[in-house]
Amino acid sequence: MAEVTFDSVQLDTQLPEIVREVDQRVITRNAAASLDYNPIHVKPAWAKQVDLLGEGTTIAHGMCTFSFMTSVVTDWCAPSGGFVSGLESRFIRPVRPGDTITCKGVIREKHPRQAGKSFVVVELSAESQRGQVVATATARVVLR
Amino acid sequence: MEEEIRIEDFLKTAKQRAFEVDFFKGADEYERWEDVDFDGEYEIDRTFTVEVEDIKAYSEGIVDDNALFNDEAAAEAGPYGGLVGHPLFLTPIAFWLTGDSGPGSWVRTPGAINPGQKIEFYEHIRPGDTIRARSRFHDKWIKRGKRYLTYLTEYTNQRDELVAKWWATLILPTSRSDEVHQF
Repeated sequence: MAEVTFDSVQLDTQLPEIVREVDQRVITRNAAASLDYNPIHVKPAWAKQVDLLGEGTTIAHGMCTFSFMTSVVTDWCAPSGGFVSGLESRFIRPVRPGDTITCKGVIREKHPRQAGKSFVVVELSAESQRGQVVATATARVVLR
Repeated sequence: MEEEIRIEDFLKTAKQRAFEVDFFKGADEYERWEDVDFDGEYEIDRTFTVEVEDIKAYSEGIVDDNALFNDEAAAEAGPYGGLVGHPLFLTPIAFWLTGDSGPGSWVRTPGAINPGQKIEFYEHIRPGDTIRARSRFHDKWIKRGKRYLTYLTEYTNQRDELVAKWWATLILPTSRSDEVHQF
């Protein structure tokens, strides 16, 4: 893979997508990894009972979707030593067991600074198999 | 018939096995939206000493096989000079440091919804690091009938270097009860 540097990146470049299939095993494994055992994620019977967001299912952690989107950036920049210095997300629709999430990233801004501090801003999105945007985010990435 | 997914089948690390997985336990004592101390700022007593297994387990949990987050030898030869955590490895650190009661326990509220997060990163998190945190009230508000709460937490390592700042926001239900659960 070509070295990713601040000088070499072009605005509006699309980063390679990541596709993740989400089922209850993925959600529960993520709960263990993140230590977030909120029952809305890991207790299907309770989720059905309270029916917080319609459909009465568990939902994936927002942070799980966020991690998928962030991995679009780290897959691209980490091998070249890029550093994710900021992340901001918005979760728009719930991700449920059975969903397939496609995460995309586009380089939208370049911010020249002194050596070693220049950064780019990547716009990220996560879409379900229904074509609905379930989450958006921005990532600030310091590049060499 | 729906397959039963047992949390216990996914507990791999010492911290995962030691952590209280039942968020209903003690829920009546969690901080509530209406009880927030606007001037509250507190140093969290617990620390998170980063083990290689913690970093690898998180990567596995987010289905990320990037060698820099998973393979010590490859990471050693890579641009960071060793294994580092995925940026959102901060998530289990945050839950671990909060623990299961006391300040910040509102993050465990059953049925809390995540509307979005903001995090700034300053240093990689590496095996051997000991992470501490200081947290304070940032904002709370009502929008379209939903109650939002944000705390700002600063994470530092054993060299007192600022590692990250996290503006953590959740939408909290009006009741913590298992039976009466409404926004």
